[in-house]
Amino acid sequence: MLGSFEYRDPRTIAEACRLLAGEDSACLLAGGTDLFIELRAGWQNPELLIDIKGIDALGELRTEEDGTLSIGAAVPLDAIARSPVASGPWVALREAALSIGTQQLRHRATLAGNLCNGSPAADTAPVLLTLGAYVMAASLETSRQIDLANFFTGVKRTALRNDEMICEVRIPPQPPGLRTAFLKQQRVRGHDLAVVNVAGALDPSSGDLRVAIGSCSPTPILLPSINAAGVSPTALSALAIESALDHVSPIDDVRASAGYRKAVLETLIDRLIARLVSPEGGA
Amino acid sequence: MRRITLTVNGHPEMADVPDGMTLLEFLRDRLVLTGAKEGCGIGECGACTVLVNGRAIASCLMLAVEADGCEVQTVEGETEDGKLSVLQQAFIDAGAVQCGFCTPGMIMSARGLLLQTLDPTDEEIVEAVAGNLCRCTGYEAIIAAIRSAADTLREGSGS
Repeated sequence: MLGSFEYRDPRTIAEACRLLAGEDSACLLAGGTDLFIELRAGWQNPELLIDIKGIDALGELRTEEDGTLSIGAAVPLDAIARSPVASGPWVALREAALSIGTQQLRHRATLAGNLCNGSPAADTAPVLLTLGAYVMAASLETSRQIDLANFFTGVKRTALRNDEMICEVRIPPQPPGLRTAFLKQQRVRGHDLAVVNVAGALDPSSGDLRVAIGSCSPTPILLPSINAAGVSPTALSALAIESALDHVSPIDDVRASAGYRKAVLETLIDRLIARLVSPEGGA
Repeated sequence: MRRITLTVNGHPEMADVPDGMTLLEFLRDRLVLTGAKEGCGIGECGACTVLVNGRAIASCLMLAVEADGCEVQTVEGETEDGKLSVLQQAFIDAGAVQCGFCTPGMIMSARGLLLQTLDPTDEEIVEAVAGNLCRCTGYEAIIAAIRSAADTLREGSGS
């Protein structure tokens, strides 16, 4: 038994928001792969669990007319890892989704859940940060857009209010020819949290390079944009590494020491840049 | 308490279950299908793997009420009229079983893969069982068993 909570599975966003507003201790349930571990450990003791998977609109993964990619809050990571599209933003998105857990977990875990969990190590977060993604959050009274750059507020803390739920994660249209990549260092191959994870997006026509880093700060972070136009790969790598070391504040924990994290970070960024500037473009 | 109706290994089931009961507890304690095991209880070991609507999931991290309306397959559903499935026989033939604790989960992860493709790459086989920990046999025999079962099934004999 995971607790003495009441389980509800509303069919509409409005009903989910009504339930959420009516019970302070309510928890939203999507894949449950983080939540159930917390329930089992007694870290959370909600009176009410609101399962959002029965809301049809949240199960949609679609590209809109203007090119915006919309990923519903109930879309499992497996659906992202198996996307038939394997270019542009999907390169890094697929890699990050596939790097999370195991297939048993990816069949249940969701992209929105990965973000809401608020982990500094959330693997999809650096990718989404480099793509300028945002979430649409709904409550009984309001609906608002939260840029991912403002979403993470601390370890296990996000900008979501208690009465708000993510309905979808949205990725704005990307420049044609965008090259993306995601790299993750773990202690073992298989399911492990990241010691360091990095994502990059390079627009070859403008030279705009975005790099984001996880597991090295209280939240995943996006580095200031780097102008890669006319810069050699070696120099570009050095620039990105310098910026990264300026912005991270890694800690010693069970997975790695701060010093090791910095060393791994340098190596991962070097490899990331190599992949982004190569003719294959990280594909 | 909530009433659920679902299909388990092809049999329709209806039950009243507490909201907080896991699917694993429902299968083991209510239906006495004890093939799926609780190893870690936090989705890391894979011993509780079952298929829900054809997809491998950790049944310790799913509520029984979430399985309402679903088709669930456990290792007990592998046999037909007391006859082992091709996959089960392949595990025996390859020596892919030692203590056996991980085996029901291994077989369900393999079954999930074989439902998607009968011609998996080695990488796909490894990925399919990456969430199933085996601490005695080692993985080579397990991977060989799944490869062998896929070959047999592709040639069109048995299930």
